[in-house]
Amino acid sequence: MVSKEEIEHIAKLMRIEIDDHIVHIDRVQKIISYFDILDKANVESEELDVKEQTIEELRDDKYIPYDEKLIQGLKNYKGSYIRAPKMS
Amino acid sequence: MNLRISALKYVEEIKNGNITTEEFISKTIERIQKVDSKLHAYLSLNDKAIEQARVVDKKIKSKDGGACMGMPISIKDNICVKGTKTTCASKMLENFVSPYDATVVSRLKEQDAIIVGKTNLDEFAMGFTTEFSAFGPSKNPWNTEYVPGGSSGGSAVAVSALECIASLGSDTGGSVRNPASFCSIVGLKPTYGLISRYGLISYSNSIEQIGPMARTVEDVAFMLNIIAGIDSHDNTTVDNQKQDYLKEIDAGVNGKKIGIIKEMTQEGVDKQVSSATNKAISNFEKLGASIEEISLDMVKYSVAAYYTITATEAGSNLARYDNLRYGYDFDLEGYEFNSYISKARRNFGPEVTRRMILGGFVPSAGHAGRYFLKAMKVKSKLTSEINEALKKVDMLLSPTVPVLPFKFGEKIDDPIALFLVDINTVTANLTGKPAISVPFEISNGLPIGIQLLGKPLHDKQLLQAAYALQNTVKLPEVPI
Amino acid sequence: MIKIGLEIHCQLTNLASKLFCSCKANYREFESNTNICPVCIGLPGSLPMLNRRAVEKATMISMALNCKTPEKIAFFRKNYFYPDLPKNFQITQYDVYGHTSIGHEGKITIEGKEIRIRRIQIEEDPGRLIYEGSSEKTQITLVDYNRAGTPLVEIVTEPDFENPKQVRLFLNILVDLLSNLGVSDPSLEGALRADGNVSVKGGNKVEIKNVASFHDLEKALHFEITRQQSLVERGIPVISETRQWDDKRKITVSARTKEEEQDYRYFLEGDIPWVKLSPEHFNQLKKEMPESIASKRDRYITKYGIPEQVAEVLSSDKYYTDLFEQAHNEKNAKEIANIITTDLMGFVDTREKREKSKLTHHHLSDLANAIISNKITRSSAKTALLNMVQTGKPLASIITEQDLGNVLDESKISLIINEVLQEESNAVAEIKEKPETVNYLVGKIMKKTKGKADPAKTLDILKKKLGVE
Repeated sequence: MVSKEEIEHIAKLMRIEIDDHIVHIDRVQKIISYFDILDKANVESEELDVKEQTIEELRDDKYIPYDEKLIQGLKNYKGSYIRAPKMS
Repeated sequence: MNLRISALKYVEEIKNGNITTEEFISKTIERIQKVDSKLHAYLSLNDKAIEQARVVDKKIKSKDGGACMGMPISIKDNICVKGTKTTCASKMLENFVSPYDATVVSRLKEQDAIIVGKTNLDEFAMGFTTEFSAFGPSKNPWNTEYVPGGSSGGSAVAVSALECIASLGSDTGGSVRNPASFCSIVGLKPTYGLISRYGLISYSNSIEQIGPMARTVEDVAFMLNIIAGIDSHDNTTVDNQKQDYLKEIDAGVNGKKIGIIKEMTQEGVDKQVSSATNKAISNFEKLGASIEEISLDMVKYSVAAYYTITATEAGSNLARYDNLRYGYDFDLEGYEFNSYISKARRNFGPEVTRRMILGGFVPSAGHAGRYFLKAMKVKSKLTSEINEALKKVDMLLSPTVPVLPFKFGEKIDDPIALFLVDINTVTANLTGKPAISVPFEISNGLPIGIQLLGKPLHDKQLLQAAYALQNTVKLPEVPI
Repeated sequence: MIKIGLEIHCQLTNLASKLFCSCKANYREFESNTNICPVCIGLPGSLPMLNRRAVEKATMISMALNCKTPEKIAFFRKNYFYPDLPKNFQITQYDVYGHTSIGHEGKITIEGKEIRIRRIQIEEDPGRLIYEGSSEKTQITLVDYNRAGTPLVEIVTEPDFENPKQVRLFLNILVDLLSNLGVSDPSLEGALRADGNVSVKGGNKVEIKNVASFHDLEKALHFEITRQQSLVERGIPVISETRQWDDKRKITVSARTKEEEQDYRYFLEGDIPWVKLSPEHFNQLKKEMPESIASKRDRYITKYGIPEQVAEVLSSDKYYTDLFEQAHNEKNAKEIANIITTDLMGFVDTREKREKSKLTHHHLSDLANAIISNKITRSSAKTALLNMVQTGKPLASIITEQDLGNVLDESKISLIINEVLQEESNAVAEIKEKPETVNYLVGKIMKKTKGKADPAKTLDILKKKLGVE
């Protein structure tokens, strides 16, 4: 069973505020307990099945300027910069 | 003018001069104005649609019209359409106007499709009822007290209620097939890599696909012809050798072997769904297919594996929503960096918030081996099992959803019960295989769909079987 | 026992485009936020498109450092929040499902000491932060994404260095190697960055990050070693932590401990399928790789008889190597090598001087040939060389304009020597007691000959006339 403190710590890492704690924490704990079913799956020896490509399929190294002005369409910009809050 | 027209019929009528694009688009907009206040399929509409229709009509007159001939298409609001709000049904992206078109949208526009509006979904595609949309749920046009399915609920409603000819949704764990089944339309999740995801706002990028949704199987094939194929903007797309999915769609299933997935058709299935499934099986037998039972043992772990993997990917894919460059109005003056982001992300709804926490937990140091790696291995083993099965049979069959459509509020409080609605559909996503939902029956006014799952890059054969099944039933018209 | 390890970030500045999109790899000439696209600023719905040449160049670095390369490479996400990170995760490489980074277990020898390379990985650079006001603790941070997505190769060594001097030597060799490979221009600002880690007497390891230059790194390492040693002497344990170099106070200080809290939740990047590297591919890259510095050096020594120190300098600096390779033939190789490593070096020792220099390999071969055929003396040659660097004029014009030619033959030298001996009769008289007076006389003679007499010949004739050895 996952502890409340651990869930609060993870929420902080994910920059998620959970103030109606009990409801969220309750549901998350329920779901994580459900995930324990994976322990029964007996898949230790399985190889990971991964997608592959050859090096020829990769993008050519060419400079192609992106024509449209992007920064002006975003919020929070000053001059030609994006503004972000100070860091503590 | 009948709005319940198929895409192919529409194109024919336009070519014959029986209707014009402007007429059809106007009628569609009238229809939307009439029913959408009840159904809430759309989050935003294209106010330039009629203007664009006039332009297409001119092109058609000079024999220069694209394959879509101005047909009205709706797009799920997690797919970028240039110059439109693309909100993912989230307050977090309330004011995000996309500066570019998704590849699928460019391809449709090139063929003169007209995007009439963006459709509702569960927030960031996480859910299967649209009850998690931050802007209110969509209603099932067959009975507005019932959920339309999700997450591409808005798309399914729009197509089913004749508010457009076809739509593009996205399918991560059943999000195209599930609402297609609940709304009695056709929905395809193609082979992973068949359709470009450039411009699809990522939820779980290693398993999701954009999927065409329409009222007939032929229309889905028509849409696939326009949007499928390799894209340099998406490294995960594969070459489909410019397949024509409409060609020989009536090839039938004579001599084909169909496997019935034991784990998806026996336990936990509503009895009406079960009986519909058996009818579908016998219809296939009458068409000359042979049937056998297939067991996929890993199915019982598939939902846990699915939610583990998607939570991890979602936790990372949604990290960019810090409201600094796009999002909604919330001034950063006076805030410190980390506290601003945490405050800003309170605009995620409760379901997304929970997935973020799961997504932080599952891959975190100390737990990654237990949950994430195990889930990846279950995914691998399930893939081997299904590959073995597809050596013995040509495709697999199951009901799309094990239960009938349910009422709003019914399942929302029990997370596990909600997850298990997905149990028949997540397998196709985890294993990258194409799967389609075909509307099969209306039982006491509620739709039931049958799912077919096929070999990778054999989407054409899947469509042929779906077409054959579709033509064994005649379904009533939508009652709205 | 001191142990130092390094983490070096090398930008692949010679590529045309960024790692995952087609914006320009070298962002330096752009106004802020004009070298961007939906992919490198992390717009919703954007996807990475891996640059083939970046993988090839990284492979070359891996081979040049004698690393093992895997059959398939994979990319991972490193998840954390920071204003310069557009997606709030960095696409990088990681070794958790076996070895999936571009290189591992390599080595390089510096002056007899073997330094092991633990890992080489490909990753993307974040954007740049500018603080409104002068320090980090201002209200607003300004973000420029021009640099976001620039291709980086990270080289991680084992803690095999025993002192900062070895570190400096290694970095110099690495800079030459990377420049020689043609993957990066180390003279570009920010192209090569290095962090280090230090431990003493088997104690805890301390990371030193955000060091502005190699020079600062050396200073920081010196300081940190002293700091740790003094702690140990006083019986105080060294805490394992991250510190940064405060250049104003010339000390290392504890960095924000928040960085320790980070849980990066590494997992596979699903948008980039694993890339298969075939043996044919390796062989092709090997052929494409320029000759290594060591190989060039050995070749210069054995083929042209160039002295070892000269060959060392010539082979390790790409600027000199390129000039040499184009200018020389069998006959004048040694002379050209000599010109480059003695006279030329002083004229082109900075990036700016090299950019301004008008000297071409034609100038060098002309000059060398002129010296060999005695059309110009070595001292005049130096003057001519400077002129060629400054003006780019052909040697013939310079010789005429500056009257540097007309090297005197023996009879002419003899005459001038006689003149000087007459004028300096006092000095001549002192020769037997003060043999060093010869140099004084040579000086006078050289002045009269205006550098047109070969110094060795002049000395020879003078000594004969004086009857000395």
